[in-house]
Order: sequence, then C-alpha cells, then structure tokens
Amino acid sequence: MIVIQCPLLISVRSNIFRRWVSKLVRKFFPLLILLALLGAVVWAVSMGTLPRADFVFNNGAEIKTMDPAQATGSPEGRVINALFEGLLRSLPAGEPDELGRIPMKPVARGMADRFTVHADGTVYRFHIREDARWTNGDPVTATDFAWSWMRFLHPETASEYNYQLFYVRGAEKFNAVQLAVGDKVEVELADRETPELFPRGTIRRGILRELILPLPTEGTAETDVADDVAAISGKAIFIVEFQTESGNTSAKETIAYAVSADGSLAGIDELKQTYTGDFPLADIQPCKHVLYDFNEVGIQVLSPQDLEVTLNSATAFFPELVAFYPLHPVHRGCVEQYGARRFTKAEHIVTNGPFRLKERRIRDRIRLIKNEQYWNAAEVELDSIDVMSIQSETTSLNMYLTGQLDWDTTPPNAMLPILKKRDDFVSTPFLASYFYRINTAKPPLNHPLVRRALNLAIDKRSIVDNVVKGGQTPADSFVPPGMNGYQGYQGSGQNVKRARELLAEAGYPNGKGLPQIEILYNTADSHRDIAEVIQQDWKKNLGINVVLRNLEWGSYLDSLQTGDYMVARSGWIGDYPDPNTFLDMFVTDGPNNQTSWGNVKYDNNIKMAKREADPAARMQLFVEAETILMEEQAIMPIYFYVSKNMVQPNIQGFYANLQDIHPLHLIKIRREGSATHDAISEDTN
Amino acid sequence: MQLLVFLLKRLGWMLITVWVVFTLSFFLMRAIPGGPLNGERVLSESVRAQLEQRYNLDDPLFVQYTTHLWNTICFDFGPSYKLQDFTVNEVLAQGFPVSAALGILGMTFALLLGMTAGVVSAVCRTSIYDFSFMLLATLGIAIPSFVLASMAIVLFVFYFQFFPAAGWGELKQIVLPAMCLGAPFAGYIARLTRTGMLEILSNDYIRTAYAKGLSTRTVILRHALRGSILPVVSYLGPACAGILTGSLVLEKIFAIPGMGSHFIEAALQRDFTLGMGALLTYTVLLYVMNTLVDLSYSIIDPRVVLE
Repeated sequence: MIVIQCPLLISVRSNIFRRWVSKLVRKFFPLLILLALLGAVVWAVSMGTLPRADFVFNNGAEIKTMDPAQATGSPEGRVINALFEGLLRSLPAGEPDELGRIPMKPVARGMADRFTVHADGTVYRFHIREDARWTNGDPVTATDFAWSWMRFLHPETASEYNYQLFYVRGAEKFNAVQLAVGDKVEVELADRETPELFPRGTIRRGILRELILPLPTEGTAETDVADDVAAISGKAIFIVEFQTESGNTSAKETIAYAVSADGSLAGIDELKQTYTGDFPLADIQPCKHVLYDFNEVGIQVLSPQDLEVTLNSATAFFPELVAFYPLHPVHRGCVEQYGARRFTKAEHIVTNGPFRLKERRIRDRIRLIKNEQYWNAAEVELDSIDVMSIQSETTSLNMYLTGQLDWDTTPPNAMLPILKKRDDFVSTPFLASYFYRINTAKPPLNHPLVRRALNLAIDKRSIVDNVVKGGQTPADSFVPPGMNGYQGYQGSGQNVKRARELLAEAGYPNGKGLPQIEILYNTADSHRDIAEVIQQDWKKNLGINVVLRNLEWGSYLDSLQTGDYMVARSGWIGDYPDPNTFLDMFVTDGPNNQTSWGNVKYDNNIKMAKREADPAARMQLFVEAETILMEEQAIMPIYFYVSKNMVQPNIQGFYANLQDIHPLHLIKIRREGSATHDAISEDTN
Repeated sequence: MQLLVFLLKRLGWMLITVWVVFTLSFFLMRAIPGGPLNGERVLSESVRAQLEQRYNLDDPLFVQYTTHLWNTICFDFGPSYKLQDFTVNEVLAQGFPVSAALGILGMTFALLLGMTAGVVSAVCRTSIYDFSFMLLATLGIAIPSFVLASMAIVLFVFYFQFFPAAGWGELKQIVLPAMCLGAPFAGYIARLTRTGMLEILSNDYIRTAYAKGLSTRTVILRHALRGSILPVVSYLGPACAGILTGSLVLEKIFAIPGMGSHFIEAALQRDFTLGMGALLTYTVLLYVMNTLVDLSYSIIDPRVVLE
C-alpha cells in the first residue's frame, strides 16, 4: 500500500525526499508487477495436484448430494452405491440373454446375509451380517436401518423418492401426516438445539384425541384426516393424550399442540374460535411436528441383527426397492452431530459401502478409496476411483480416447454411428423410453382420434435408422421390452392410410381445418433432428402445419409442468425393472403425468396392480393399462434408448444389463499378462 | 490524501454497483420461467412445500429479497440449491482459485508473447517478422477461443500428444487452456505495443538517446518501452473482463472446475443463490481490477491525475 501511496502524495506537495521515493517506485514498479505475476503463477501451478486413480470414469453431471435420502438420478446412484450399501444389492446373476445382457437381481450380498418372506409376501425379515461395519468401526444394526428409513420418510427430509417406501404399512401415513382421531402419534416438542432436522427435539408418544382443522370437514370419520399442508404450516390443533408413568401409578395427561416452524402461534387464533368441544384450549403449546407414531409403521427392529418389514400388500418388486440407493442407511451419530448438509463432507462422512470418500472437488471429481472395513473387502480390487463430473460429452470422449478415462458414460449421440463399430463400445437396450407427450387439454389434441392419427403418421423406423443411428429400436409401446413376464402392448408401426382415415373421422379430412401444431423440445441437436423428421411426416402424410419451439432446459421443464405446450419431447428411465415404474406416471393428476390425460380404468388397474400378489394377473393388469394409454394416445412413443458406455478393453467386471447399473466394486483391471477369469461366478454365486 | 479519497470514492461506487447488480439479477432470475425446484421428475406437493420452506422460497418475493440482501451484506450467500452438500461460499472458495490460476496464467502468457511480438515488430518494422507477427496477432484476435481450443486439442492432444485432453490437477493440464485463453489478448497486446512503440520511437528523446551512443537494446528497453506500454496497461482492465468471460467457454471445453463452470451451471439449473454469488464475485473482481489498472496507470505516467 505504502508503495502506491507515495508517488501520489508527491504530486500534491513536492519535496525532494518524496520525489526521490517516487522515482524509486516508478523504477521498480514494472519489476514489482513482474514479481507479483511470477508469484501468482507459482501459486497457480502449485494448486493441489492429484495423481490418477486406479479407475477413472466420467459420471456426467455433478451429483446433487451424497445423502441417500436426498438423492435422485443415476450419477448420484453410482456414487452412493459405492459409498453405502443397503440390505440387498443388485448384482449380475444368471445367464446372459440373447443381447448379451446379464440380469441384475437383488440378492442378499449387501448388509443382509439372508432374508425370508412370510405371510404371502407381505412380511420380509432381513438378517444383517455380523461383520457389517461402518467406517468408524461401529457395527451396522437393524436400528440403523429403522432410523435411516424414518429419516427418509420424515416429511421435513422432503425426500423425492419417499414414495418408494409407501408399500410399507403406515409409511405413507407417517410421511404425509394423514392422522385420524385415535391414532398413536409422536409429538416432537419445540426444543431442538438447531433449526436443522436431526437431531430432533424431545419426542413424546401418545394418542390423538381430537383434531381441529381449519376447514369444516370434522365430524365424519372419513374426512377427519389432517391435510399434510395444514399440519406443516401450523393451521391445525392436535389434542394428544399421554400416558405418564411415575412409580407404580400411571396417570393420563392431555395437551393441545399446534405445529409451528418458529414457535409462534399466530395462525391458530381463528381456529380456537370455531372450536366447540370441551377441552380447554387456553394454553396451546407449540411443537415441531405431530406425526403418526413411527413405532406403528411396519419397520420393526427384532434384534440388533434382525429387521422386520411389513407391507400393505404383497409387492413383487420390494427386494428391488430395498436394493435401490435411496434406502441405503446413514450413520445416525454422524448425521446428528454434523447436520443435514455437513455430514457428507469427506472429513465427517461415515459410510458402510465398499468404498469411502477421500476428497471431493466440486464439478471436478470425487475421489473414492477402498474401504478396508467392508465385509467383502477381499473381493474389492480397486484401491482408488476418480468419479469425474465432465459436462461436455465431447471433452469426455476426448479424455477417454487419450486414456484419461477408463469408462465414459456419455459418448455424444452424434458420434454413435462411428463409435458403435468399436469393440470397446458397450451398448444394449435398457429401461428407458423416448416419447412425445401430448397435451390433451389443447384442442385439437383433446380428440383421441387426432392423437392416434399423429402417432400413426410418424416413421419411427426412419428416425431410428437415419437420425439417432445408435442401435435404438422404434417404439410402439411405452414400457420397454425385456422385463420378466411382461409382454407389452403391440402397436402397428407406421400406417399412413389408417392415420388419414382417423383424421377424417375426427372431422379434419386431409388435415383441413386443423390448426397448426407446435412441437416443444429442450435445446439439443439430437432433439431438433427428430422433431424435424416428425414435422415432415405430419406435413407430408397428414397435411398438418407444424412449428418447432426449442427452450433451454429450465424453461422447457417449466412449460411442461404448466401445460404450456402442445406436443413435447420427453424421456423416462425406469427406476427398477417393473412396468410400474413407467405406467405409474400417467395416473390421473400424477405429478409426472403432465398431459392432462386421465382415465378411471387406467388408474384402477394401476392401483389394483399394487395389491395383486399373483405375478401373472398383475402383469395382465399392466398390459390392460398400457393398452388404454396407447389407444387413447396421451403419449407417442418414439424409440427405446440403448445404454451407451465406452469401456477400456483392460477393464473387467463390467456387465451390460437392462438397468445400465454397473457396480463399481465388481470392476477389476486386467494387468498385463494376468490370466482372464470369470468374475461373475465368484461374485454372485 | 488524494489516493485515499480516490479509493473511498471507488469503494462507494462499487457498493452501489453491487447493489444494483444484486437487485436487477435477483428479480431477473425470478422472472424467467423455471425455478430451482423444477426437475425432470416432478416433486410431489408435500415435498415441494417442504423444500420451499427449507429454502425460504415460500416467503413473499420482497421478504426473500431483503433476507437475501441482508445475508449477502454479511457475506453469506446461503446454501446452493443444486449442490446440496455445499454452501455457495464453499463452492466459490473452491472455484475461484481455479479460475484465478487459469486467468493469471493466460494473462501472463498474453503479456509475455504480446509485448515481445509488439516490440520486435516495431523495431524491425516492415520486415518479415513484423508481417508474420501482425498476421498471427490478427488471427489470434479473429479466431474465437473455442475454435482455437478445438484446433489446439486436435494438434497437441491427438496429433502430437504433448498435453492431456482436459482436466485439472496437473501442470501440463493448465498449459493448453491458458494458451487458448491468452491468445486473443496476446494479439491485441502485440498490436497495441507495436503502435505505442512506433509512436515513441519517433520522439526526440529517443533520437537523443541514440545520439548519446546508447545501444539499441538499452534505448528500447530503458527509454522506449516504458512509454509504449501505457496503452497496454489501460487495456488490462477490459482484458481482465475478457479473460473472465473467455474462461466460461474454455472451462467447459477443458473440464476445468472454475467459477465459469459454476456460473453457467447455476444459470442453467436455476441455482439462484450460486448464480448470485458468482455474479457478485465477478462484479467485485472487475471493479477491483479496473481500480488497480487506474492506479498503476498513474504510477507509470505521472501526468495522470486520479479522481
């Protein structure tokens, strides 16, 4: 600072000394700048260097979080499956199918070493292996799972995947705060030390005696259910009776509570006025939550090693869900000590999977190292993994081609025709559909015949062969083929003649009188190319004028959700290999429906399928539902995706499969000269 | 005293600028369609309500504005909406040094190359050096950095295999992006230096210096260079801005986890808090750089008066 100040002072008052200083400064200023630059360069260069890990792969997008309960998406899944482990694990098992895909089965090679199914498939008992350990040395117990699942279901956690556990008895009731008078409830008192959830405040368990709601719906048993939003925002009064034990005598205590985020009870005065019961409401106490008693939810700890889960009804794919990453456990002590955000820091996080977190650089890489405490550590070969998050697909491919990556998950679509000729390109059909949503609220698209005509006029074969060119298959149904026991809807393919007939039947012969149709897609060359083909097909075959509208991703999602579109490009990747993960979407007013379409029979079938224990009958319900969806044509399937992976030839233990899941702990690197061996047999027995 | 007044004035203006930028971008961000809670998978009603409460998105807009403004004044940009494990401050703390390192290297490269080329061109005027340097400089200015980066990758990564394709963490990974980042500025600087130098060389005092029998090298380096870099120094302010925006593109091409990557992703993903944090950092940075350039200008040329 001094150096800079002097010459300026000079310019005001001139004296010899200062002029001399000024001269000196001027003389050395360039040198100083040079030195500063040099210093900066040295500093820049010395920025933490990190040698390459054993195995490096591009995970695509930067993950949103490492917290299993908060995560969604496949990049998150890859990391969480490496760091954590659920009761079961989806592992390749059995013989490859005709496309070389090895089926993934949820097997007891996770935290549980065995599980049994009772009572016609409604009760699951999991036995947790004795040698299961957290990275801090604590044993993994059934209590850890019960607590983690409670956290997962807790409304304040706001887990996007929480519906995955709604098959468990009472879970939805707990999550959605669907309370009725007489229910056992747990009250979290307003005495949390931090505003953060977990650790929770004091929990008191009692029975809900009375419920005062803002709307005049009380009185009848059916409607006497608290709306979750009302409960959250502090618009309801709960009168709860507690059994207090003091010595040998037990007494009853009744307290009125109102849920309040900040301890103020401003919102409930009006409610008090409307109350006509006889319980004195003079001192209503604020509390954090009134929830359905979690002890009543069908997740019971039988012993430190045994967990019993009771379902609402037999759910065939429940093991798949148990193996799915959102249900992986977290360490209670760690979460409670550091809180929701900070517990995932490398220096804090406690995990139980095959790898542990070493370092995380945002939008660069996640360094994982082998977890020596892992029960199956002997079979984990990789010592370190770099999970890169490289956004640009081209950059990622460049890095793969120059050996910087061992596995590239995002080869660019434009390169597929060239890449698919290479041996290291691993690609198979997987559980994902590319389709167009139709906004059935917008005329003329509210007419089912118009929608069917539009679908029949598209040459999907040509889209697959001439536009996407990656080995995808044209789709006439929504659910991708390949799921065990599901024979989906069979469509007819392109049929221009029939399409014209249908359009005429709908009152638009040769497209006359039909307003212009707009296709919405998110900005990407691949989507535009497909939209252009469809534009041509509709113009040529049906005489319909079509305009294209592209929007950047965030705006595109907004248009979809607000229904501000006519026809919109969409995609869906299945969470588990069951038709439910696709068909569940289009129930009336389902959050992911977005087409304004609804059908009572369809809804009914999906609901019944959730309860149906017989697999064949269940699949029949789905086939019927899909037939309705396709005949009403709320969506137009275009093609089924293929998985795209570039895997270096020296990598083993990478299996093509229907879900495109590749467990990192199975991956081995073939060193020069070592004999090849079949890793499947030893990993899945 | 004069300096102090100058700095205080600048600080005052900076605060006003930051506030205006904050206010404008706060409301612009919320005016565009889409929000941080929109995703391909639509949230259920209750999850959305909980998340809105967690991030105070359920408050009235003006309350959100004042809360956010107050937190920003306290240097707390809040949690990132899309990088849930981090606060915005943590993301910026990781991203800023990376971009700074890239920018400094790019700038150093631009200065060294540009000034050398400029001086040589001016001294050997109308020679083959002059011609080829100025051609290169024009090319450097004309070719956009992403085209340059693609050419550099083809040449130095695939053909000659000198450098890795992308990434961050090793010295050799920085070289290509820094060069691509600096190239257009090197071009400008070369031209500015050449023009400045030619002008100075025609001055009487240079003739005097030669007449005293000084060697060409001494005349150029000691007497001419100082005067001729003034245009370069005044160009450094805009150049800093250019380096910052230029690195947005290059960080993506070379997979560099700097501020640019965070800024672009924040905008695309509607990560309001992170976007705001990055934007304000850029604003302050530009302001500080411009102030420093003004200061150094007055040091190099005593005729300049700060105000």
